[in-house]
Amino acid sequence: MFLLRKLASAILTIFVISALGFFIFRAMPGDPERMLIGAAQGITPELLAQIRARWGLDAPLFPDQFLSYILSLARGDFGYSFKFRGETVLGVIGPRMMPTLLFVGTAQVIAMVVGLWIGSRAGWRQGSILDRFGSSLALAAYGMPTFWLGMLLLIVFAAWLSWFPVTGLANIEQTNNFQQWLGIAWRSVLPIATLAIAQTGQYVLLMRAAVVEVSKEDFVTTARAKGIGSNAVLRRHVTPNARLPIVTLISLNVGFILAGAITVETVFSWPGLGLLTVEAMRARDYPVMQALFLIFAVSIVLANLVADLLYARLDPRVSR
Amino acid sequence: MICLMELGLGRIIAALVLGAVIVAALVPTALVGPLENIVTATGAPMSPPSAAHWLGTDEVGRDVLNLTVHSARITMLVALFASSLSMALGTAFGVIAGYARGTTDALMMRVADFFLVLPAFVLALVLAPLAIEMGGAQGTIMGLRPTLMVTVIVIGITSWAGTARIVRSQTLSLRSRPFVDRARVIGASHGRIICRHILPNLISLIVANTILTIVAAIWIETALSFVGLGDPFQPSWGTMLFYAQQAGSAGAGAWWYVVTPGFAIVLVVVSLYSLSHAGPVARRRKTT
Repeated sequence: MFLLRKLASAILTIFVISALGFFIFRAMPGDPERMLIGAAQGITPELLAQIRARWGLDAPLFPDQFLSYILSLARGDFGYSFKFRGETVLGVIGPRMMPTLLFVGTAQVIAMVVGLWIGSRAGWRQGSILDRFGSSLALAAYGMPTFWLGMLLLIVFAAWLSWFPVTGLANIEQTNNFQQWLGIAWRSVLPIATLAIAQTGQYVLLMRAAVVEVSKEDFVTTARAKGIGSNAVLRRHVTPNARLPIVTLISLNVGFILAGAITVETVFSWPGLGLLTVEAMRARDYPVMQALFLIFAVSIVLANLVADLLYARLDPRVSR
Repeated sequence: MICLMELGLGRIIAALVLGAVIVAALVPTALVGPLENIVTATGAPMSPPSAAHWLGTDEVGRDVLNLTVHSARITMLVALFASSLSMALGTAFGVIAGYARGTTDALMMRVADFFLVLPAFVLALVLAPLAIEMGGAQGTIMGLRPTLMVTVIVIGITSWAGTARIVRSQTLSLRSRPFVDRARVIGASHGRIICRHILPNLISLIVANTILTIVAAIWIETALSFVGLGDPFQPSWGTMLFYAQQAGSAGAGAWWYVVTPGFAIVLVVVSLYSLSHAGPVARRRKTT
């Protein structure tokens, strides 16, 4: 029942977002037909009418055009890109998917493992050296714009130390041997480190606050009084309860993670969805922007759904 | 740093930093002279810090210190306007939903949940060029050029939902307190109860939340400017970083151009954070 309710609300949200996408992009300046034809001369009204009929633009915006939009979305048809003439939006977006997933995924895993560990230790022993250094560094990492951190790392490790090349991976698809893969892995160290450090800061601060909160609870005192070792109390009694607020906060922060990824990809010319978003925005490539908007929005909705389900699993009281 | 904050020194430093930034935002010309442009640039392109240019110059020879001080005004103005809009929307929405309860509340919170899920930055990326193309780019509105007003509105309408949630839950608990019942019994209208009894009790919550909203607004403004949606005639710190990126200054090792505006952002954000932590502590001392 709980699961069904969450699922239904996620589907409803995705539908409303799709509708929002439709109306935002219909409001874009420039008629669709002018965008399609370009500045071609000698378009007679009859030809224009023919084109409008062919693309279904003579039908009423609602419900006809809206319905055909929803139907094509359901088929995974996002139309054609303006910037990359002749290519479908999916064809433009597809190859950009994997680099972003790799990039954001690796950074998240690193940030979660490191950040939650430091955060729980820092919260458990407040005022310790780890807490003072960890919390201060975390606040600094959390407070700085993620892309700026990337630029700083570029200055230190690419410009000064020359450990890394200045440019990103321009041709990720044309790799087939081990040597090239190694080169790509090496080049991806800085962008991944940037996103991971910024996210680690966030996890340290959240986990520290959660652990501090939980360690005031009576059951922690009881566990201590039973004579359980400090580490075991942290591991078995505090951490499982501290995880709960973390799950919610992380799901609310997916939008920020995305914003960080988009700007960091720009800094390192990482050929992913984020760089594509910025390129499409600059070229006013509305179909690509529309598809990216939907992809990002849907991924946030899905992340929230996963968080809800995870929460219900971690805390059985919720689903009752 | 954390232990300094406990001593209160952190808060004093934070207040000093913010004071300096506000002075820079109010009278930039008195501090560093008028905003330099390509014609009035005073130095050689991309020169490192020297006696004449304490923080070096950018790719067309403008003084980085001059740009940074002038950018304070735009960053702070955009953040202030955007967070005011966001707080006004969020508070109004939250109070009405929490006060009305029932179906109205449920429906309004569904709308808020929807905005909470919306990727604010991506939506802003989509809306900003649209709004800039539809509106003119001439003149100024409240001291900001239209492109920046667009940024303000976009940040405002994408970031109010969190505030609405917090304000609503506090309103729900306030509404069931005896003083609200007493006010109703002596015949106070809904408007009077909200304005005279509920809103004053929300003030501390709203102030603490405003600080966090300002931080969020600074971040979104910086990120939007960084991808090129800023205004070249009214630069912000994000716009400076955009030009630094365009000129390839990170790869060229021009650290002065990259470090300065970013450091200003970090100083402001961390200062705001330490002040927001100071809020609840100060209140607790006052009541006991």
